[in-house]
Amino acid sequence: MDEIALVQSAQSGDLDSFNTLILNYQDRVFNTALRILGDEDIAEDAAQEAFISAFRSISTFRGGSFKAWLLRTVTNACYDELRRQKRRPTTPLEPETKDGDEMDSPRWMADPNMTPAEKFEADELEHAIQHCLDALPTDFRTVVVLADIQGMDYSEVATAARVPLGTIKSRLARARLRLRECLRGFEELLPSSFRLEGERTS
Amino acid sequence: MKNFRDIELLSSYLDGQLSPSESARLESRLSSDPELASAFSDIRAARSILRKLPSRKAPRNFTLTRQMVGLKPPLPRSYSFFRFSTAFATVLLMLIFTANALTQIPLSFGASAPAPVAQEAYGIGGGPAATEAPVATEAPAAVEAPSLAMEPMPTASADSAATELPASKEAGPASGSQDQPPVQNQALTESVPQEQSRSQNQALIPGIWQIALLTLGLTSGLIMFLLRRSATQKWK
Repeated sequence: MDEIALVQSAQSGDLDSFNTLILNYQDRVFNTALRILGDEDIAEDAAQEAFISAFRSISTFRGGSFKAWLLRTVTNACYDELRRQKRRPTTPLEPETKDGDEMDSPRWMADPNMTPAEKFEADELEHAIQHCLDALPTDFRTVVVLADIQGMDYSEVATAARVPLGTIKSRLARARLRLRECLRGFEELLPSSFRLEGERTS
Repeated sequence: MKNFRDIELLSSYLDGQLSPSESARLESRLSSDPELASAFSDIRAARSILRKLPSRKAPRNFTLTRQMVGLKPPLPRSYSFFRFSTAFATVLLMLIFTANALTQIPLSFGASAPAPVAQEAYGIGGGPAATEAPVATEAPAAVEAPSLAMEPMPTASADSAATELPASKEAGPASGSQDQPPVQNQALTESVPQEQSRSQNQALIPGIWQIALLTLGLTSGLIMFLLRRSATQKWK
């Protein structure tokens, strides 16, 4: 069954069709939440929350990109989570960035054939990027996560982030610039395979 | 650092969002302006490294259960009919109860037929008082008692009934005094059930309606319960 048929079926209340959509999108949804929130457990909660609210409001989907519509509920769930954390400041927002142990416990495997040293380096890179993402204002972070990490086009980002196209352009430019500056501080830590292209080309 | 307008242009150019003429203009500037070219490299590097960020797998499946989204089993169309009839029967039953209760409050004092009740009460209770008049005078209350009972009689109406009947009840024991306690007791015990049966018979809506509505409500409720249960079982 193609995506449109699944969405239509879900709109008529068929949970099984929606669950098929969830299985297709859950990695993307989880990753988006993870990069916006910077914490795996909180991202997991936000992803689940997003799917629940997406099912409840699926009747409001009126065509277009389902991915963009779905990621909009994800960004909403992330913003809700961030607001909740602001109200309860005892929960650290960026536990990973200040926790050295996190670097030593790789929970993802980009390539199962990597040597331990490569894994460590890759972990470090991920950690450095997440640190720089966390340093961005939330609105910038959301746009850059959707455009550069999720690879969405501008109109999809505009739908998912609920901001006009012009704002997307300027936020994306600022976010990229800030990220580049932030990542400069990690240049020495990064393995050669992940060296910034700018250094090589310039 | 270039001005922000240029940074935005470079960022859009990188994503292929510029028009051909804008792109051509920017490209010629890039070839002649090393600072701009360096800024472009920076932005491209940032985008490139973000794209290299490995994608994590979801730690678990996020599939939803019916409980999570609060879905209820689809009920047959007839369910709403039975729901309506249950509600309808219940509301009507309550209205009947209320109406009957309201009309029975004055009835218990003989509102609809005050005169006969009073007459009976007086007739039975007052009878001995007349025959035993000389004895009755010994008790001071006995003198007043008959007059109290007699007074409202000719003008008996629904309005005065409430006060009339208690008075006639008093008249019985008072006028009867100690001479004929059995008769007097009988008069009292007779008059009370009579009043009750009268008020029941004259309830605004007959009891048969209440029974019918109760049956309707209970039956519809039971059918609703059964429909819901079978729908839930089928759904699972």
